This record gives sequence, C-alpha cells and structure tokens, in this order.
Amino acid sequence: MESTAYVDMSSTPVPPRAPSPDDVPIRGLLAGLEALIREPRRVMVQLSGPRAGALVRNMFIAAALCYLFYGVVAGTYARGTQLWAAPVKIAGGLVFSALICLPSLYIFACLAGVRARLVEVAGLVAGLTAILALLLVGFAPVALVFSTSTDSLPAMGALHIVFGLVAYFFGARFLSAGFTHFKAVSRAGLKFWMILFLLVALQMTTALRPIIGTSDTILPKEKKFFLVHWTDCVKEAVDKETVK
Amino acid sequence: MDTASTISFDQVPVLLRGESVPIAAWVERWSTRRVLLYVSVIFMGAGLYGASMGWWRDPRQALYVAIKFPLIILLTTLGNALLNGMLAPLLGLNLRFTQSLQAILMSFTIASAILGAFSPLIGFLVWNVQPMRPGAQIPVQTYLSIQLTHVTAIAFAGVAANLRLMQLLNRLSSNASAARRVLFSWLAGNLFLGSQLVWILRPFIGSPFLEVQFLRPNAFQGNFYESVYYSIRHLIAIGGAALLPP
Repeated sequence: MESTAYVDMSSTPVPPRAPSPDDVPIRGLLAGLEALIREPRRVMVQLSGPRAGALVRNMFIAAALCYLFYGVVAGTYARGTQLWAAPVKIAGGLVFSALICLPSLYIFACLAGVRARLVEVAGLVAGLTAILALLLVGFAPVALVFSTSTDSLPAMGALHIVFGLVAYFFGARFLSAGFTHFKAVSRAGLKFWMILFLLVALQMTTALRPIIGTSDTILPKEKKFFLVHWTDCVKEAVDKETVK
Repeated sequence: MDTASTISFDQVPVLLRGESVPIAAWVERWSTRRVLLYVSVIFMGAGLYGASMGWWRDPRQALYVAIKFPLIILLTTLGNALLNGMLAPLLGLNLRFTQSLQAILMSFTIASAILGAFSPLIGFLVWNVQPMRPGAQIPVQTYLSIQLTHVTAIAFAGVAANLRLMQLLNRLSSNASAARRVLFSWLAGNLFLGSQLVWILRPFIGSPFLEVQFLRPNAFQGNFYESVYYSIRHLIAIGGAALLPP
C-alpha cells in the first residue's frame, strides 16, 4: 500500500514576486523627466505610491527649470531686460496657470468617477507641465536660430505659440492617459478642462507681456484679451511695413 | 455612530463621484458632525467663489460677497427645510425630515465644492479685465462677459449637484417618477426663495457708480419678481414705441 506522506507546505518558502518595472521608485529631477517621456505609466503608478508628493514636487521643479531655459532663448529676440524677464515670466506664468487650473481638474476628475487623490491629480498636471516644458527645451535651438535672425515680432510670437501648441499636445496626451489609468468613466470634463487650461496659459502670456518684445514697464498698464493683443501686434507690424 | 475619525473632507470626493452606496448610508443616519462638514464646505467653497465675484469691485466687496453667497445657500436650505421635508413623502418618496435636509445639504455641498474650485479661474479672469474703479466706464461687453461667466459657472455647479441629487433620490426610491417629482418640487421651492434672497442680499458684482455696501438701502423694498415684471413691461414699452409709425 502506498503511503502518502503529508508535506507541510507552510514551511516551504514562497519566492517573492518579482517587482514590476513600474514599481521602481523614480528619484530625482532627471529620472522624473526621463520617465515622463519613456515610461509614462510608471509615473502614473508611482503617483499612487508613498513618494507621490516628492515626485509631484520634482516634476514641477523640473518644469520650472525647463521653462527658465526656454525663456532665456525667447529673451534673445529683444535682449536686454528680456534676458531675465522672459524666463521669469514664462516659468512663473505657466506654473501658476497649472496651479490655478488644478482644483477644477480635480473636480472634473471626481465628476468623471476618477478615484484619485488630489496628489495623484496634481501629479498628472505636473506631468503635463513638465512634458510641455521639456519639449519646449527640445525646440529651443530652433527658436534660438529664428530669434537671432528674425526682425518680425508677430512672426516670432507665432513661432513660440506653435512650439507651445505642439508641446501641449503631448502633455495633454499624458493627461488623457492618466485619466484612463485612473479609470475615468467620462472624458467630457477632461476635454473641456484642456481647452480651459490652454486659454488660461495663452491669456497669461498676454497678462505678463511683453515676453519677447520691449516696453517701458515690466508688466503692461492696459488689460487686454490675448486675441485682441495678437491682432494689435499684427496691425502694428503691418503699419510699420507700410510706412517703410 | 460616526466617529470624528470617519468624518473628514475625504467624503467630499465621494459626494462628487456620486457613490450611491456610502451616500445612501450617510443619508439614512443623522450625523451632526457630517452636517457640520457640509456647512463648512459650503462656507469655504461658496465663500471663495463669492470673494472672487466681489473682488472686481473692491476687496471689501469680496469680503461681503464671501459672507453673503454661503448665507444665501444656507438660508434657502433652512427656509425651505420644513416644506421640502413635507413635500417628499407627499409626492411619493418616503423620506424623514432629517433625510430630506441631509440630501439637500449634500447637493449644495457638491455645488459649493465645484464653485470653490472655479474661484481661482474667476479671480484670474477678474485680474485680466479693466478694474471697476469708482466712476469707471466699463465696456458693456466686458461687464456682460463677466456676468455670463458667473452664470455659466453657477449653472454648471447647479446642474452637476442636481444630477447627483437625482441619482441619490432614485436610489432611495423604488419609483423613478416619484424621485423626479420630489426633485422638481424642491428645485422650484429653492429657486423661488433663493431668487428673493439674492434680491435682498444684493449687490454681488457691484457697480462703479454705487458705493460698496453689504446691503443696498432699499434691500427690503420690492422683490425680485416685481423687478422682472417691470423690466419686461419696460422692454415691451420700448419695443412698442420703436414699432410705432413716425
């Protein structure tokens, strides 16, 4: 008769689960930027981890540093005061735009059924801001070439806007992927917020003008809507050309 | 019995997401701490939005509207509490008075949280328009744009809050049409009383040609519906005069 020996499985050690690549913590500014571009899912997973606050802070700091760099490039058009004013305005203005739009994104996320904490939503906004800033740094050499060889203020302004819009597209894609990761039921609120943030950022550039031009004052004396400001700049440039 | 540790601002996202199971459980039992949480969110959210609304005129106006906006919400809720508590069972939704009160407070909490989140954007908008200094000639389109933005934000918050309230009433009732009747009756009553409270507690945005005041001197003279009636009569008179042959 066969004897069946009883084996006590509780004494058999269970091999530890191999950590997923997404579970590896992201430490430092450069690691954060690299992860945003190459491993965005890892960033989203880490936003739910214990070091989420540090990650969000690092992404905002990295974004600010990238904006400062791009701002110096933008300031080379007018030079002088703009070499320091443009980076301060671009970095301060765009990070501030993200922060004032964050509460409304949290609301839209909750209304869409997203079970994310405020720090996780803040991380998505920080990610969008950082990707936008990083891509602008990628465009910086192109912007520098045009900045040093173009006389037309509206053309230079339009170029910066185009670079910004392209960069924003990729940042918005990260945000959209984040909403999917956090299992949003509806995307209507997110789409509306993306338009809202774009309007706020564009208006911020007008509220803090001049950024690439020159002026007697650091900040404008007159309040203007950004479309009105752009139209006025184009008209002024055309009038100058006509006078010539 | 709810303990202090289980009642926190973390419950506000639950309200916003409309998670029916925990919300229905909260409505089932009266909790003074939870009601105080709702009142504090209403004061904070609606207060911040009111401040951003009044800031265009003057910082004092911001302070006044930060007090008045939450007051309107709470006075409307309390003023209609008995009526709303009676309407629910009469219209086929067997809720206790405390359940009706909590449900309405929850919907106002949702609306206030939404408005509070929009207040930085309203503040940014106000920062970007011509300041409303005393005697300033504000372009009509600027004033109308600001007004329209406020109407849109408040309407959005109201619609979102009432959608969640509708979902809650549907869960509490086995009869969807009873839930709809109750919601509409509550809405009608709150709009009726709320409009008059807004009239009494004006100004909110303010005017560059009038002083910054907490209440207008004629706050208790006339009413909202009279002013709407006279406005319509005036418009008809103007239209009629324009149509008359020269």
